[in-house]
Formats: sequence, structure tokens, C-alpha cells
Amino acid sequence: MIKQLSVFVENEVGSLAGVTAVLKENKINLKAAASFDTPEFGIMRIVVDQPEEAKAVLIQEGFVVKISEVIGVELVDQPGDLDRVLHIIADAGLCVNYIYSFVLRENNAPVMIFHVNQLKMAEEVLKNNNVKVVNQ
Amino acid sequence: MIWAKEETMSRTELEKIQLERLQDTVKRVYEKVPAYRAKMETANIKPEDIKSLADLAKLPFTVKQDLRDNYPFGLFAVPKNELVRIHASSGTTGKPTVVGCTKNDLDMWTECVTRIAVMGGASKEDTAQICFGYGMFTGALGLHFGLENLGVAVCPTSTGNTEKQIMYMKDFETTVLVATPSYALHIAEVVHKMGLDPQKDLKVKIGLFGGEGMTEPMRDEMHRLWGSDMLVTQNYGMSELIGPGVSGECPELCGMHINEDYFLPEIIDPNTGEVLPPGEKGELVITCLKKEALPLIRYRTRDITRLMYEPCKCGRTTVRMENLSGRSDDMLIIRGVNVFPSQIEEVLLKVEEIGAHYEITVNRENHLDTMEIKVELVDEGLLESYAALGELEKKIKHQLKTVLGIVASIKLVAPNSLQRFEGKAKRVTDLRKEGI
Repeated sequence: MIKQLSVFVENEVGSLAGVTAVLKENKINLKAAASFDTPEFGIMRIVVDQPEEAKAVLIQEGFVVKISEVIGVELVDQPGDLDRVLHIIADAGLCVNYIYSFVLRENNAPVMIFHVNQLKMAEEVLKNNNVKVVNQ
Repeated sequence: MIWAKEETMSRTELEKIQLERLQDTVKRVYEKVPAYRAKMETANIKPEDIKSLADLAKLPFTVKQDLRDNYPFGLFAVPKNELVRIHASSGTTGKPTVVGCTKNDLDMWTECVTRIAVMGGASKEDTAQICFGYGMFTGALGLHFGLENLGVAVCPTSTGNTEKQIMYMKDFETTVLVATPSYALHIAEVVHKMGLDPQKDLKVKIGLFGGEGMTEPMRDEMHRLWGSDMLVTQNYGMSELIGPGVSGECPELCGMHINEDYFLPEIIDPNTGEVLPPGEKGELVITCLKKEALPLIRYRTRDITRLMYEPCKCGRTTVRMENLSGRSDDMLIIRGVNVFPSQIEEVLLKVEEIGAHYEITVNRENHLDTMEIKVELVDEGLLESYAALGELEKKIKHQLKTVLGIVASIKLVAPNSLQRFEGKAKRVTDLRKEGI
């Protein structure tokens, strides 16, 4: 599994930049990031190379931060591959809460982040179906 | 410990002193303050008409506007060369209100504050840090002289530069913190932010808080931040009457003992001005009994409380005033429902997922009152989903609706994003009043 940071951000100018500035200053590398269009406040979800350190420095700067686990799935860069994985999850009767993808990793295969209602079970189902699940 | 014998007198003895001092004060203002004389003549009252404490009700009230109308020294009962100190209120609207003290007034003020410091657990073994702003505000110097009189080592650190305050607190082994509750809260946050644990790294064990009211959940918050064994008391006063020193809490925490030999309290119906029977809630009115420079008669404090005359377990016989429900000036009327910001605070501080700071904005949209409350999210557990954060907003709204009957919209904001205060907190903005 992959450790994801959820950071509370307000819906105002510069709030996401406030988070990334702290990461930059502490030389923490961002691997994936997602935020959604919400009216009042947002939860910025990020994957970084040093999750515990990132949490500590963000808290020091006054952010509310939670670390939780998500599943990272390595996909093949061709039509239908995300469809294949989503069907495996759906067929197992599991519910996807949200997905987002890693930023480009040079020539490596794309990695997609999945948050599913029953994480452990989802990871097992994916592995059983020969989907490549990656770690941090 | 109890400082003065006047605090444990029988009611009969006390009332005898009060009547003598009242008669003397009324006579003095009648003779020396033209504005008072005129008021009494209009009301057809002469000093000789005050034969019992009950006759107090015959005298006209004094209100803040009277001080402004007689700016700066018009209500003073002594010539200016008798003054040894002049203070003024901040005066957010119009002219400030000016208050003065003679040498005797300062001694009496010091005596009153010393009693309150002792009530709040201080002794000559203590080191106190006064984190009230020094200057024209009476708070800092009032506590300063009262604590010095007790033999406490006083550090006049004033407000500002909170990290340095904390350095002194650590290095001087400060045991008594004097501040507004808002600033005490902020100092504790900075202590934590500096990586210090107040319970291990600091020796503060007494909080003497004043300048603004403190609700019970706010007291709990102080214990959480500063340590459960901290003795957290609040005291009350206002510059027009003397400054701090009018009343204060003892360790029994069942209201604030009024220094009744110097301040004679009444409770009135704020609308009719009628005196209410003991125990009823209404506006606190105070008559100064021994003041020389500015002896205000029946001063309307605008503070809402009730008086409790039953003797206290601490041994004091002086009347206790209930911790303030609010100032009548601060009361908000939201779609016909009366609510004090302190009541909103009580509801908010019981919600664990949010911090102790909040901002209330009242407005009127399409002829309807609206209230928005900003609160700081502190519980990381809710970041799992938007639904959990939405639930929190709903929960707070529901609490406000069921406890206070008001409808408010809740806005979650990031921690430490709301304004922090070094003096009195300003947490309410009423845009209806400001005519925007």
C-alpha cells in the first residue's frame, strides 16, 4: 500500500501553493497530487517520497494532516487498461471513493491511486487478478 | 487564604459600613460635582434622604455617556491637583472615558486587587507575569500594584512578542499568569508550537484572567492547554469603577466575590431600571463607596449577572456575582432570538473536532438576519472524506439550533488562520450595525 497525506485547505487564493511551498522548502518530492472542485474547503491529497517527514513539517506550519493508506496500481499505457482494473474492483462488489494518478515518471509505466471502501480486500482482489500493485 | 477582615464580616457589620460610606459619598458628590447635583435636584433628592441602603434606589443612574459628556474631568469630585494617576478607556466610539485616582484611591485599588490575587491563590512565594497591555488601560497597573503589595515578584512583560514572554516564563519560573483569557490561550498555543510542554517545561500554576469574560468550556480549555492542576480564576472590574479589583473568583469557583465594602452592587431590569430582588438576573449596577476622585453613583455596567448572598464555602461572606452571561451591549438578536456570544462560545468549545478560536459575522440578507461562524478544524481524523467534514458542519449547526435556537452557517477554516488577540478578543462582527 501507499501512504497518502490528506491536507485540509481552504477554498481561497494560494491555499494549495501554501502546501507545496512547505514541501519544497523541506525538499520533499511530490509523487502525486489531487484536489477536487468544492465550494467551501478542500482536501488536498498527496503522495510524497517521505510521508512521515512531510506530515511533521506540515503540522509544524499549522496544517491539519492525516496519513492514510491507498492502493497504487501500475497500469499499462494502452487503451482499456484502467477499465480492466476498475472492472475487477466492481466485480468484487467494492466501491471506489476516488482515484487519481501519479505525475509522469519518466519512462516508467503510469501509476494510479485508488481509494476503495475495503482497502485490504481490494488489494487482494487486484493481486489475484495479476494487477501490479506498487508500494511507496 | 483570606486577605482582609472585611471579606468575612457579618452582613450586619458590612451593611453598617456600606451605609456610612454611601451617605458620605452622596454628600460629597452633591457638594462637589455640579452634574450630580443637577441630576439629584431633578430627581428631587437630597443627601439627607439616604437613610438606609434601600434608599439607594432613589438616586439617579450614571451611564457611560455621562462620562463622555463631562469629558475629561467634569465628574471628578476632587481638584485636579489631588490626582496622582489618570487612565482612560480605549474609546472605540467617540471620546474616551477618563478616570482618575487620588493617593487614597490608589491605596484602595491596590487593597482590592490584593484581595483578589489572594482569592485566586497567589502568595508572596509567587512570580507573576503581567501580560496585559500597559498604558492607559487600567488592567496592567491594577494587577501590578496589587500583586506587588502581596509580595509577589512582578514581571511587567505587557503584551506582544509572545515567544520572548515564554522565554521569561521559563527562565524566571513564572508561577502566575495575568492575561485576558484570549491571550492566555494564544500564549499556550505558541508554547506548544515552540515544542515546549507547559506542564513539564513551565511552572505556571495560577491563571488570573480578566479584561473579558471566560466561559466554563474556555476554563476547561485552559486546563487542557496549561495543565489540569492550574488554578484558573477570573476577576472583574472596569476602569470607570476602578479597573480590576471589583470582584474575583475564589478556588470554589462559584461566582466572583465583590469587594462590597468599596463597591455596592444592585441588579436592575435593564429595560425599566427597576431594582430586582436578590438572586434574579439583570444588569449589574455599582455604586463606588470610598472613591475620592471619581465616585460614580449607580453606574450601569451593562453587564448581565445575578447576585448570590449565601455565604461561600471559602469562608467569605461577601456577595458573589455569577460569571457574566454577557454584556447587554454584546447581545445579538438573530431573527428575533436573543443570544450572547458567550453562549455560542459554550456550544462551540464543547465540539472536540474544532479549536477554541472562532469568528462570528452577522449580516442581513433579503431582510433576514444571517450568522456565519468560522471555526478552525483540528481533528485530522475527519480528512478521510468530504462527508465527514460535512457531518461536522451539520453537527455544529444542529447543536446551535437545539441549544440556542439560532440558525448559523458554519465555515471550517485551517488551524491558526483566525485572528489571535493579545488583549480583549473581538470575535463578533455585526455588519447590520455597521450599516454595510
